[in-house]
Amino acid sequence: MKHFLTIALIACLAASAHARNIDLSTVPKRDTVQLTIYNAEDLTLVRETRTITFKRGSNPLQFSWANTLIDPTSVQIEFKGKNTEKLSLRDTTFPHDKPQMLYWNIASEFDGEATVQISYFTSGISWAADYTCIASQDEKTMSIEGYVTVRNNSGEDYEDAQVRLVVGTINLVEQIAQLAQQGMAMDDGRARREVLGQKFRKAEALLDADDALMALPQAAQSAPADRKQVVKEGLSEYFIFTIEGTETIPNRWAKRLRSFETDKAPINVEYRHWPRIYGNQLVRMFLLTNDKEADMGNSPLPDGVYRLFKRNATGGLSYLTQQTLKYIPIGDKIELNLGVDKELVFELRRLRVFRDEIWMHVQGGNVFRKVGGGVEVEVRSSVAGWDEHTIYAQRIRNYTPEPVVLDIRREYQGHIEFVSKLSPTRYDFQTVQYRVELKPGEKLEAMYQVTQKQGRNAKQNDVTLIDRVPAGVPWLE
Amino acid sequence: MKHTLTPAVLGLMLAVLAPHASARVKLITLPVRERVEVQLDHDSATLVEEERIIPLVQGSNQVDFAWAGTRIDPGTIVFRVMGPAPGNAEGEGGELVANVLSVSYPPGENALVWDVSASRSGSALVRISYLLGGLDKSYNYRAVAEHDEKTLTLAQYIRVQNFAGEEFDAANVNLGIGDKFAKPIGLNETKEILVDRIAAVPILKTYTADPTQFGYIDQPKNKLRVPMHYVIHNDKDHKLGSAPLPYGKVRIFQKDRPGEDATTAFLGEDWGSFTPIDDKMRLYLGVAQDIVVVRTIDERKSTRVAGNLHDFDVVIKYEVENFKDQPVLLNLAELVDHVRNEAGARSGQEAQWEIGPKTTLKGGPDAEDSTHERIVFKAELPPRKGDKAEKLELKLHLVFRNQW
Repeated sequence: MKHFLTIALIACLAASAHARNIDLSTVPKRDTVQLTIYNAEDLTLVRETRTITFKRGSNPLQFSWANTLIDPTSVQIEFKGKNTEKLSLRDTTFPHDKPQMLYWNIASEFDGEATVQISYFTSGISWAADYTCIASQDEKTMSIEGYVTVRNNSGEDYEDAQVRLVVGTINLVEQIAQLAQQGMAMDDGRARREVLGQKFRKAEALLDADDALMALPQAAQSAPADRKQVVKEGLSEYFIFTIEGTETIPNRWAKRLRSFETDKAPINVEYRHWPRIYGNQLVRMFLLTNDKEADMGNSPLPDGVYRLFKRNATGGLSYLTQQTLKYIPIGDKIELNLGVDKELVFELRRLRVFRDEIWMHVQGGNVFRKVGGGVEVEVRSSVAGWDEHTIYAQRIRNYTPEPVVLDIRREYQGHIEFVSKLSPTRYDFQTVQYRVELKPGEKLEAMYQVTQKQGRNAKQNDVTLIDRVPAGVPWLE
Repeated sequence: MKHTLTPAVLGLMLAVLAPHASARVKLITLPVRERVEVQLDHDSATLVEEERIIPLVQGSNQVDFAWAGTRIDPGTIVFRVMGPAPGNAEGEGGELVANVLSVSYPPGENALVWDVSASRSGSALVRISYLLGGLDKSYNYRAVAEHDEKTLTLAQYIRVQNFAGEEFDAANVNLGIGDKFAKPIGLNETKEILVDRIAAVPILKTYTADPTQFGYIDQPKNKLRVPMHYVIHNDKDHKLGSAPLPYGKVRIFQKDRPGEDATTAFLGEDWGSFTPIDDKMRLYLGVAQDIVVVRTIDERKSTRVAGNLHDFDVVIKYEVENFKDQPVLLNLAELVDHVRNEAGARSGQEAQWEIGPKTTLKGGPDAEDSTHERIVFKAELPPRKGDKAEKLELKLHLVFRNQW
């Protein structure tokens, strides 16, 4: 362990001893350390305990954190266990010439040992979730392994640390990394301390709620050791994942642990043409649910990368795709986009455009007389409103060996009538949605007519569904 | 084989894991690959799966996996314990069960360390999968058409390029189509392998005149360029259809005479698009000089309906001659908006067109290939008789209605 982060009991010195150049100090070791790492912000709450022998009277205590990313405004000390009522913190001094150091002046009414708990925020430690998903060969079920990876770039080694990971978005008014760089020299006093108080109250609320988890047993030493359990529990708007036992994460290392696994989560395969979400293409989706039926549903799934494979005929794997999904609450759908399936032809063909209900705006008349002939009256007018009908055929050819279900959305602007026998529904006021099913090898031309009312004919700005056979296409009949 | 990819089991740790990788003093065993499978069934990613037998001691084991000089995506590495190694199923202490407890990533190295716990000492079969960059594939085809151009022999090849920084001595390569093959692929080596060869594949030869897509071969004389295509149907009726045909370059040769002693001449090449089973691949091989199509706008007439509302009639005339001694199927295609522009009948509205009564092209627009934007007619051209080719005069009459 690198001793960047030290606490020193300065022996036999008065309260002002730290101003001297010649010091004698003892360095108490950490007894326990707990990391509570937030994934939404670059923030980790470190809580460590050390045993210190106090003497009656004043006890100066030095805490320093050279070359780390600790927010100095966040460092706090508390007394735990026996004799806490006989100890009190008189003051805290931040020397101007040593930005990564502070002195606590502690008054003791007894001689003997006591446990102190030091807590602080640090940046540079992060965690992320990722998921390895392996679909069965028939694409009916999927095994999912969820992982959490902790990365330590904080400048400090953490040995035998209890690791807790917080899923959720907290509010920070200042970034911890920035505060760590500024040090106390930039402190603006009360405002900073008010912020600090808010942050701590929020984080401590998480800590206090599950103190009992600190006492989780170490992983069994008998062989084979079981994979570590990751205990999940909800708290307020957050979820805490607590990794069983302790972990050692040296500075600049990363460690990946399994958070859950499920073997047979049922999959639904669906094709979607939802341009607003997936772009103007038909994509293949694996749909499953974070619920008990899938042997999940114990906790939400944090944001993370999903890597998809499929078992092939030889028991090996074939790579499908990878993507990042946002937080998935318990009971919500996991929607994995496999991209375009080249064996499903999906082509929108426009077959006919025609106009009717044409209204002319009469502007007045001109009279023309032919020399040596009669008179012709011409009324000047121009087109003021019309209905434009467009006949489409959604050509779908299923060259895959499986039956397919397609969910198609089409968005239209303006006053629209959507004429078809496709049993469509309205997804919203300007989006039509319909589903079609095709057997293996089947070809379908899903016909529909879009009538757009233009000019003075346009009275609304929405889509009306009309259950009728679209107008014909003369050159196809 | 180069050991750039090295899983090392730390059988005996001489020093504890220090924070810096350089300080890790260790005694290691080097389990060789038992089997390697390269999955080339994905469009843009190559998955490598390798099996190794690793010796484990009872309790905790550190398994190092390093990939210096290669382009493994570390996020995609999947480590699976498949069970005891063959012949190691039972031993003192019962069945060998191994679990991966955690994975650690040392700083500044292309490496990771699995912490594997074993129920007893023994060897376990593990499978390691990962995406590897630099190992790419492409497809190409070589087709030899018979002299009569009714059938061809289609050979499909895969070309594997190994710039992955690792050599594969005896990898099973799975292409996603056809059978797997086992071939060594050396470092920086390109290997081309025949996937399949199918004889007597029926083909359709087509000619297309489309002024927008292919233009003119002699514009002052209004002579259209007429490219020739081979159409290959990927279905059972055409002796294919066992798998999709991947995208790739197709080079087509033709036998210069019937019979076994024929040699071949190069006809042309084109990029064949991905062709699912039951679909067709269309290959542009070159320009036909013996089919002459002269295209002119024969009529253009405007009729006022009311106020500023007009109809337009446009008649396009094709004078077609087939100088070949074979009958020919000619596709005549027109882009509707292009015709409107040419005839000065363009308006701000979508074209509302109809086929007019002066059309002499038979059969109406082709239902498969025509859309509102592009009309395709098919015309059968008789062969020349002796040294005389019949000149056909074909007309397409388009009526554009309700324009202003």
